[in-house]
Amino acid sequence: MKSPRDVVLVDGIRTPFAKAGTNLKKIHPADLGKAALQALIARTNLDVNVVDEVIIGNTGNPVDAVNISRVIALSSGIPQKTSAYTVHRNCASALESISNGFEKIKSGTMDVVVAGGTESMSQFPTLLPQSMQDIFEKLFAAKGPGQALPLVWQLLKSELRQIKALLTGNMKDPYFPVIAVMKGLTDPFVGINMGQTAEILAKEWNLSRDVQDRFALRSHQRSSAATKSGRFKEEITPIFLPPKYDSVLEADTGPRENQTMEALTKLKPFFDKQTGTITAGNSCPITDGAAMVLIMSREKADALGYKPIAKICSYGFAGCEPERMGLGPVYATPVALKRAGLTMKEIGLVELNEAFSAQVLACQKAFDSKTFAEEKLGLSDKIGELREEILNPNGGAIALGHPVGATGTRIVLTLARQMKKTQTQFGLATLCIGGGQGGAMILELEN
Amino acid sequence: MIQPLKESIKITADGDIAWVDFDLPNEKINKLSGAVLMRLKEVVAEIKQSKFKTVIFSSMKNKIFIAGADIQEIKLLKTQADIKAAVEIGQSIMNEVEDLPQVTIASVNGACMGGGCEFILACDYRIASEDPSTKIGLPETQLGIIPGFGGCVRMPRVVGLPTALDIILAGKAYAATKAFKVGLVDRVVHPNLLRQETKKWAQTLTAKRRKVYQPKDFMSKVLDSGLGRGIVFKKARQGVIKATRGQYPAPLKALEVIANTYKMQDRNKALEIEKQGFVLCAVTDISKNLIHVYELTERVKKQTGVPGIKGKDVTHLGLLGAGTMGGGIAFVSADKGIEVRVKDLSIQALGNSLKHARELFSKNLKRKSINTYQLKQKMDLITTTTDYSGFGRLDLVVEAIVEDMEIKKKVIAETAGQMRPDAIIATNTSSLSVSEMSKGHPRPEFFAGMHFFNPVNRMPLVEVIRGDKTSDQTTATVFELAKKMGKMPVVVKDGPGFLVNRLLLPYMAEAAFLLQEGMSGDRIDDLYVKFGMPMGPVALMDEVGLDVCVKVLKIFQKAYSDRMEIPPLFDALAKSERKGKKNGKGFYKYSADGRRLEYDPTILNELGLPMPTNRYSDAECVERGVYGMINEAARALFDDRIVESAHEVDLAMIMGTGFPPFRGGLLRYADSVGMKPIVTALEKYSRERKAKRLIPAPALIKTTTFYK
Repeated sequence: MKSPRDVVLVDGIRTPFAKAGTNLKKIHPADLGKAALQALIARTNLDVNVVDEVIIGNTGNPVDAVNISRVIALSSGIPQKTSAYTVHRNCASALESISNGFEKIKSGTMDVVVAGGTESMSQFPTLLPQSMQDIFEKLFAAKGPGQALPLVWQLLKSELRQIKALLTGNMKDPYFPVIAVMKGLTDPFVGINMGQTAEILAKEWNLSRDVQDRFALRSHQRSSAATKSGRFKEEITPIFLPPKYDSVLEADTGPRENQTMEALTKLKPFFDKQTGTITAGNSCPITDGAAMVLIMSREKADALGYKPIAKICSYGFAGCEPERMGLGPVYATPVALKRAGLTMKEIGLVELNEAFSAQVLACQKAFDSKTFAEEKLGLSDKIGELREEILNPNGGAIALGHPVGATGTRIVLTLARQMKKTQTQFGLATLCIGGGQGGAMILELEN
Repeated sequence: MIQPLKESIKITADGDIAWVDFDLPNEKINKLSGAVLMRLKEVVAEIKQSKFKTVIFSSMKNKIFIAGADIQEIKLLKTQADIKAAVEIGQSIMNEVEDLPQVTIASVNGACMGGGCEFILACDYRIASEDPSTKIGLPETQLGIIPGFGGCVRMPRVVGLPTALDIILAGKAYAATKAFKVGLVDRVVHPNLLRQETKKWAQTLTAKRRKVYQPKDFMSKVLDSGLGRGIVFKKARQGVIKATRGQYPAPLKALEVIANTYKMQDRNKALEIEKQGFVLCAVTDISKNLIHVYELTERVKKQTGVPGIKGKDVTHLGLLGAGTMGGGIAFVSADKGIEVRVKDLSIQALGNSLKHARELFSKNLKRKSINTYQLKQKMDLITTTTDYSGFGRLDLVVEAIVEDMEIKKKVIAETAGQMRPDAIIATNTSSLSVSEMSKGHPRPEFFAGMHFFNPVNRMPLVEVIRGDKTSDQTTATVFELAKKMGKMPVVVKDGPGFLVNRLLLPYMAEAAFLLQEGMSGDRIDDLYVKFGMPMGPVALMDEVGLDVCVKVLKIFQKAYSDRMEIPPLFDALAKSERKGKKNGKGFYKYSADGRRLEYDPTILNELGLPMPTNRYSDAECVERGVYGMINEAARALFDDRIVESAHEVDLAMIMGTGFPPFRGGLLRYADSVGMKPIVTALEKYSRERKAKRLIPAPALIKTTTFYK
């Protein structure tokens, strides 16, 4: 049943994704977002005056662009009159942006929303430790050299201590600099790193190193194939690298066509050196990138003559244990399915974000577990099988990378395009969220 | 005796303060015409007798204080005696302002130029609004004259030598903040506060003052000392000579006047020197020519391209073909806030155009005319694509792809299919027919030519070419867009070479004939540079590209037959590797970064040219080129009606080729020489040098003057 207030996804586009510290490291996250949004506007020949709102997810919150959505909107040619705001739901920030737009359109409040996400994990800052910030605070308030000089001396001493902390590699030293990306990947409630949450899942769900590495290999092989076949080209806009513009990044840099099991096997466990199985090879790399989608009410899309790719049926967010955050999709999916009035059997394609091999595989098992459904979800039956052949047909974040604030939109975009390509009626995009949550969104193909 | 224009200046009493407001009736601006000056004299006399303690001079116009003297009146001053009398009146009124017993304050909002600036210099105090329209300066030297109402004397006294020379010699105007920084005004306030702040300030000022510049730091003190001044004047003179090649006497005269009057105690003596200098400049043809050029540019500002038709505003521009030209067009557009979408098949070419635009913006950043935020905003307006995405949003596309009629037609048809039905495509072709090309467009009324000149960021001319079917609306829109880009558009009819290249190509070819006949290339170029061209025709061929010259001249020959003879050396040139500046090999040698070095003697042998004997007179070398252009211009103007009038020819030649402004333009120069001597010379050269191309055109023979 089509309704004029259906929310449809007109089109979407993203930048190529590149591992943090490489090709895109000098590009500000606002400029990554701009590149994607400008391409989206061009590709849809959008009259920017019809845009009601721009909603962008971002987690790094760059200090020089705190409402980064507004910066992206203005630099992309969205009119000044149009409102823009930034949303933060950690790893699902760019799913949150779409769900915000969905609600506003569904309710009849708005008709046209640009939603998306951007992240430059390269540009996450290195901060002064609190001990040194205190000195600076006093120094800026100091009156005259009498007050300032002793503080300068203290600063000098603390800098020597910082160098000592760096040389000894003691990250617990109160003078060790705060590395924002490390802090961001550590759960603030239970104090363990995201990798350690994956270690818990690997052990609890009996996931061997071998199955994890095989899943990582699959991700590389499928992403490479999608790059090579041109499948990803349709969702990527090339990005020039200023100020010389002498090179252009046209494709994701993560997927390794020649990835072998041997190479993956050789890697040492990163988080638990003794009994662990989580390596850099079966985890997603920290990454830079941005993605944008254009969503509208059906009546507006019709009036403007657009042929949308998909309808957004529903979304759902749900919480879980922070130390098992990787199972988030298992908690969120039933919520979204229920709202859409669908069951897992009807879902023909799934994009489940690959934070870690172990986390994806644990989810797969939990989807199919009656016990888990009963004990943890309060459901009478299992959610339903997450079949291997419908899961991440183009690989995922282990190969492509996971720019935290952009991934939510990326998986929705990749899902929609794949549904169109394979003429699949229903699809699910879902991801786990640091802090212990899951997010899910269900799309239906438009004909 | 000129009658004072009573309504132009009003006095309003405000307690002890007299507000003297300039408000020229029936005009948008205030200017110091003779009648206004006479009124000012009256006002000053009245104030002098009054009991007011303070006088505030201000303007009732929006965004104009006083725009300057009346240029029409300056133009009419023919004899030295007339000029002298006019200057004397102005100087004496400024003196009377300066000598008022009351405290005088100029309260400036908007343009305060020339005579207006000289007027506020005669006041005791100056306050300005920080409105962007506020500009204070002395542009006289750009019109071939010097400040004559005391500006040469008072400006250096108020702001010191280095600043005064910067303003006067280059004819600059300063924004309010800059004027405040250099001490030209004493205070700057928000425009909304100007009147009340002026009044408050007036109530605190009790003493008259004649501001004298006080150097503050060590360096300024050195430069203001007797020895330092010598260096300042010497450097300034070198700068002027370098910028003008000594072909513009006004800045040099201004410099001389300032050098002779700086720190002079006797005001009358100093003003006498200024007056003498002014008279010598104003009486010259150069000044009249520069005023003529100024009027040509003002004329364009008022035009729309087609009388009575207003073009549509272009906010989204497309460009087919990246490269240097594309980068240049992208730069001038984005600089004016136009969104630009550049399409090219080559990613590398797209990158190059972005790089080129960015380099040009970076230059502005270095010059501090923009800041880093503005640079980013402007660069953000430029996007690139290898497909037609976004073309549905464009108002106008400029086509700048390869010069091939069939390919262009195909691409134009394809592009039109991707655009809104009311969107325009304009070709930047330099040699192909716009009318023929328009056949590629499904709606040819939305097709025109928009011919830019290289380098786009520096060359002000844009030829707007009307094809057979181009609509008035399309023509006006392209014209409007060119103006929005800060360019000088000239509407021309379709025809090989349009206007500028039609004149310029045979001019360059004439230089090739001179080479063939034993003149040396660097000698030819020297002569033309002395004539005032920014570069000689031989160097220009290198600049344009030797292969392009050969190709285009062949196209012209087809169209114009005998009139476009092809110099035999062009055949050898076509076969050679020499393409000019672009491949570093031409008549001249080039450095790795593209700077022109010395003349390359090996080219003689390579092209089979004789050893130079330089047997022709200087006059013949220059006349064959310049009169040849005049000859072709007569045909273009009178036979083919490529443009409407001599004005367009002159504007186009100055803005498109750098034809010396001090000569007022090609046809004004022709008028100054006279048609008889030109026709006689052409007849002589065509006969003696067996050059059919130089036979005077019937249209030229019939003409007495180009300007009626």
